[in-house]
Amino acid sequence: MAIDIVVVLIPGLILGIIFGFILQRGRFCMNSAFRDIILLKEFKLAKSVALTILVSMLGFSIMSFAGIITLNPKQFAWGGNIVGGLIFGIGMVLAAGCASGTTYRVGEGMMGSFIALLGFAGGAYFTKFGVLNPIAKTLQDNTKITNPDGSALTLFGDLTPIFMLIIGIVGIVIIGYFWIWRELRAKKRENKPLFDFSNFGHKTFKQGWHWAVTAIAIGIVACFAYVSSAAAGRNYPLGITGGWVGWNKFWNTGVDSALGWETWLVIGIVIGAFISAIIAKEFKLRTPKHAKTIVIQFIGGLAMGFGAITAMGCNIGNILSGFPLLSLGSLLSGAFIILGCWLMAYLLFMWRKD
Amino acid sequence: MVDVTDKLDCRGEVCPYPDVKSKRKAKKMNSGEILEILIDYPLSAERIPETMKSMGNEVLSIDKVGVSEWKIVVQIK
Repeated sequence: MAIDIVVVLIPGLILGIIFGFILQRGRFCMNSAFRDIILLKEFKLAKSVALTILVSMLGFSIMSFAGIITLNPKQFAWGGNIVGGLIFGIGMVLAAGCASGTTYRVGEGMMGSFIALLGFAGGAYFTKFGVLNPIAKTLQDNTKITNPDGSALTLFGDLTPIFMLIIGIVGIVIIGYFWIWRELRAKKRENKPLFDFSNFGHKTFKQGWHWAVTAIAIGIVACFAYVSSAAAGRNYPLGITGGWVGWNKFWNTGVDSALGWETWLVIGIVIGAFISAIIAKEFKLRTPKHAKTIVIQFIGGLAMGFGAITAMGCNIGNILSGFPLLSLGSLLSGAFIILGCWLMAYLLFMWRKD
Repeated sequence: MVDVTDKLDCRGEVCPYPDVKSKRKAKKMNSGEILEILIDYPLSAERIPETMKSMGNEVLSIDKVGVSEWKIVVQIK
């Protein structure tokens, strides 16, 4: 076996298990986060996503200044970013979960998400190596813009690391004041204890986590993931798409080298979510009530796969990991993922109804 | 026991149908009526009560009735 167990397999798997556990406890899904802003006017998950990005941004910049990691933002290719992002966003509404949401829900026993995942892995594989590759490649190659030295465009150029530090700190302070402090103050007014550590085990393992706890936990995992992933030769923080593409490549070609750090991470996510769901008594093998739903979820998964490769990242690669690095490509992809999500959510759930 | 006016079984529904269906149902109901919602999707167990509260309705109870199954009882205001 050419797989390095100590540097690649075990760290990837362990971080995946922790990540999956947090995703399941925090019900952390970007599809829900973005969609609920317009659909249910519910902002908890959106707040969680915002804080996760800021914690990661601060962590990455500190680690970069300390020389622990080398920042490696994704490239900018507006054609791929726009088209891929939009199709990914549309796809995740149909699949009823983003790349991370779909992955962790497999661990909860949701068969619909498992089918969506098959579509996602297949769609991504065919776009990376198969028939759909020319479309993604044409979109990317003809619109790619880099710095003169070939490095990726970021929002503030050479000053990006220092801006990451500033935005990270300022952003966390703003969120802390406007959202967390106000929540605490409202609690105080009702004479409830600010931090209630009674039943700590029950709250940790049996109930959903507070959005800020989830966000800080994922931000910390993202920092460890960056170091661990870089040590395994993949200089980038968390990602999902590459992991499932890797498994697909391994099944199709049998090449051990396809099983990189990210492939163990995604398997870990499923295991972590499974453990978390079992402990909370939330694991149940369940198929969607209507057969039509499964077909729609599969099609959504396929669209997500195509979109993720074309946009050079899914919601994890581009938003969770790419936004903190202030990559222009990731920011553009992320904006169109959100637009695609809103467009599809509007058409499916809001148009001519209510 | 409260008198349940109407029941909504959203078990087996994928995200966000349990939420959307409960919201639509609650809007059609009259003041004072009681809606019982059955779900098996963890995120909705936390999100439906929040949505119901923000609509001005009163959440009477949230009970875990089985493995990944919840019963939410809401009084429409």
